Amino acid sequence: MNELEDKLAGYLRGKLAAPDLTVAGLSRIPGGASRETYRFRARYSERGKHVDRGLILRRDPPASLIETERSTEYRAYSAFHKLGLPVPEPIALELGSAALERPFFIMAEVENCTTGGIMSPEPYGEHRQRVGRQFYSVLGKIAAADPKAIGLGDFEGAKAVREAARHEVARWEKVIDEDELEPQPIVRAALRWLKRHPPPPAQKISVVHGDYRTGNFLVDDNGEIRAILDWEMSHLGDPLEDLAWAIDPLWAGADPARPGGMLPRAEAIRIWEEESGLKAEPKALHWWEIFASLKGAAIWISAAREYDEGRNIDPINAFSGWYCLSFHNRVLAERLAAEIGA
Amino acid sequence: MRPEVGTILGLSVQKLALGITQEGAAFAQGTVGLLATVLGLAAKEYERGADIRFTENREIRALFAELAPSVGNATLRAELTQAAVTSDPSLRISDLNSANYALRDLLTRLLIDAEEHGALHAQKRIWAVLKALAERRLVQLGP
Repeated sequence: MNELEDKLAGYLRGKLAAPDLTVAGLSRIPGGASRETYRFRARYSERGKHVDRGLILRRDPPASLIETERSTEYRAYSAFHKLGLPVPEPIALELGSAALERPFFIMAEVENCTTGGIMSPEPYGEHRQRVGRQFYSVLGKIAAADPKAIGLGDFEGAKAVREAARHEVARWEKVIDEDELEPQPIVRAALRWLKRHPPPPAQKISVVHGDYRTGNFLVDDNGEIRAILDWEMSHLGDPLEDLAWAIDPLWAGADPARPGGMLPRAEAIRIWEEESGLKAEPKALHWWEIFASLKGAAIWISAAREYDEGRNIDPINAFSGWYCLSFHNRVLAERLAAEIGA
Repeated sequence: MRPEVGTILGLSVQKLALGITQEGAAFAQGTVGLLATVLGLAAKEYERGADIRFTENREIRALFAELAPSVGNATLRAELTQAAVTSDPSLRISDLNSANYALRDLLTRLLIDAEEHGALHAQKRIWAVLKALAERRLVQLGP
């Protein structure tokens, strides 16, 4: 860790024009399976004052769970931070490997907060209503933002409202084709169903966070959401994709009627509709909910392969390949069987 | 269930022996907790793994025997009929998997055929088996 600390200090001295900068307390923390995340403090002088600042380093791992464009997450943080949404302040992006061996970016640490556990029956305790209202309100604001106006018009993804669903199905089918370790009859049936029953065109093309859910944001002791994290899968698409992912039963904790351990489903959708100015038309949302479970299955299939082939032996990948995949397989089986009255 | 129990045990040992000490206390604490969870799940899978596969293979073969006569595609019908009378050579996980993968591939082809021909009764029967399969394979947390 000392070697990384030294390299990081050397990089930041130049980047922040702070020749006396030192790095202390560098330690790896959990956070996002596709990047290594470290917490540290940077201490330096700025205009005659001593600065002692908590920062976060997000570095590419040797092998990544889901291949994502390296600058995507940083650009999303930058755009939505400027818009006033609760996201950490981005500090620096480095796409080369010279400084820290692999690409990375640095952002401000949002201190004294916790994430809710996705397996916890009550991830936000007494604050669940307050957290839930903010959670769906912020998601509505993300949906309402104009990607071009915030500088993300060139993001990967669908450029036209009629393409959004097809684009995402193709994206995740490719992942399944590449990473499937054993036959997946339910997942394959879900792909066919999604293709045969396309949803209505998106109401607009929005920035889709891609992994907006319980466990991916920071909350303080007062139940205030301070930071939406893990934008690495963000892309352009149908804003219903994020809403469906947020209310997926995997994040429900103990109560499926209260997705993510926060608000009742109907209230969550109402807040999202009010904030976004869009409608969560039931038929369209139903399609995106089945897609959400399919997308989940694809991610877990990919995690299982990473682990099985020894490229990334973080036990989270084994857990995902077992627990999460079996969960989404059951959800898909129930939903698809219901489509034909079985 | 991939990764298989043997892979998880081997890579968990590798993680404990080589990986954790380099990660720092906070991250290592999380990793150890996850390892404990995964190893607990592996213990359950050790107990139920052969039964899940054996039962699944038996149910899929029974489904093939039931539905094969109504399949119009002669090639598929013949494959289903043949698969319906196969048996598992042993209760080794690797043998059960080998048969299971072939049966699940054929099950997918059968479902596609039923979908394409609008054979609703067959689809309902297949989904009954798939729902049971998913329920049986569901990984439960806790004791």
